[in-house]
Amino acid sequence: MTLRLNIPRLETDRLILRGPEHRDFDPLCAFLLDPERSAGFGTEENRSDAWRWFALNIGHWALHGYGYFTIEAYGEPAGISGIWNPEGWPEPEVGWVVYDGYEGKGIAHEAATCVRDWAYNTLGFTTLTSNIVPGNTRSVALAERMGAWFERSYDNVHMGAEMLYRHPGPEGVS
Amino acid sequence: MKIEINIPRLESKRLILRGYDPEQDLDRLAAFMETEKSRFFMGPMDRYGAWRLGCAFVGHWAQRGFGLFAIEEKTTGEFSGLVGPWAAETWPEPELAWLVLADKEGRGFATEAALCARNFIYNDLGWSTIASAIEPDNAGSIKVAERLGATADYEHALPNGGTVVYYRHPAPEVVQ
Repeated sequence: MTLRLNIPRLETDRLILRGPEHRDFDPLCAFLLDPERSAGFGTEENRSDAWRWFALNIGHWALHGYGYFTIEAYGEPAGISGIWNPEGWPEPEVGWVVYDGYEGKGIAHEAATCVRDWAYNTLGFTTLTSNIVPGNTRSVALAERMGAWFERSYDNVHMGAEMLYRHPGPEGVS
Repeated sequence: MKIEINIPRLESKRLILRGYDPEQDLDRLAAFMETEKSRFFMGPMDRYGAWRLGCAFVGHWAQRGFGLFAIEEKTTGEFSGLVGPWAAETWPEPELAWLVLADKEGRGFATEAALCARNFIYNDLGWSTIASAIEPDNAGSIKVAERLGATADYEHALPNGGTVVYYRHPAPEVVQ
């Protein structure tokens, strides 16, 4: 069995989106262990579990050909954004996370828009969703800013009740 | 970032060791991980958790160039467990881990698979030492470690308050 990992490097005005590197683990871990900040994403209990998430994201890339990119801003890991489609998910989604200290600069919007363009133009997706936990008003605002609309509520296997937002298709964003 | 990693296919008398493939293996892995029997292997957890775990096995290979093999029973072709070198970020050293699913227990599969994986570790990866981290109350795995000639080396405290004992395997020059 040959595992192939082919993670592109995408660039926007201010950001680089690239494959996960070893130096990304500590800031990711800090986020995943922070119950407040990671409530809408899925909090991990300890450093071992956080590392397992780091490894599983790489596995997700190898299995699906897509996953979470590291968002690099000002030369530092500033968050993650990507296309995510685990077992039990209703359909592939665009996800985003911005770490402490990088909020309020439009980084999530810039990264998620770039990821969505990549999924439409390079991977050939024809539709995308974003699953948002009720009460996560920041993410709802960002989804709406990206042109996505509330489609339905559903029960996520990991997160419980979630709102499914539908993004405009490729023809709607190009 | 482009990485290509070949996961070899190893064979012992009754078993094939190969890369984990969620399409073939997730159903049986998830059914096992939902049971209390998985408590020494990060369980119990639901199917989504088992999927995540399997993805981490794949990611571990991609990141480190080695990892857990799926154990396939030759006669049935069934996914029967996992074995191989595992190096989680937070542990003191890489370990040789093994798991045999409940319905394949009692036939020496763990010993056979671990021997095969240990040879891979020594001969192909070229490591000079390997240990296995085992919970003190995991009598089944302690027995397997002893059958493999491993002996208790040191204790390591886990973040959840428990401990594991590292059983050191005989060195490559001893087992060849």
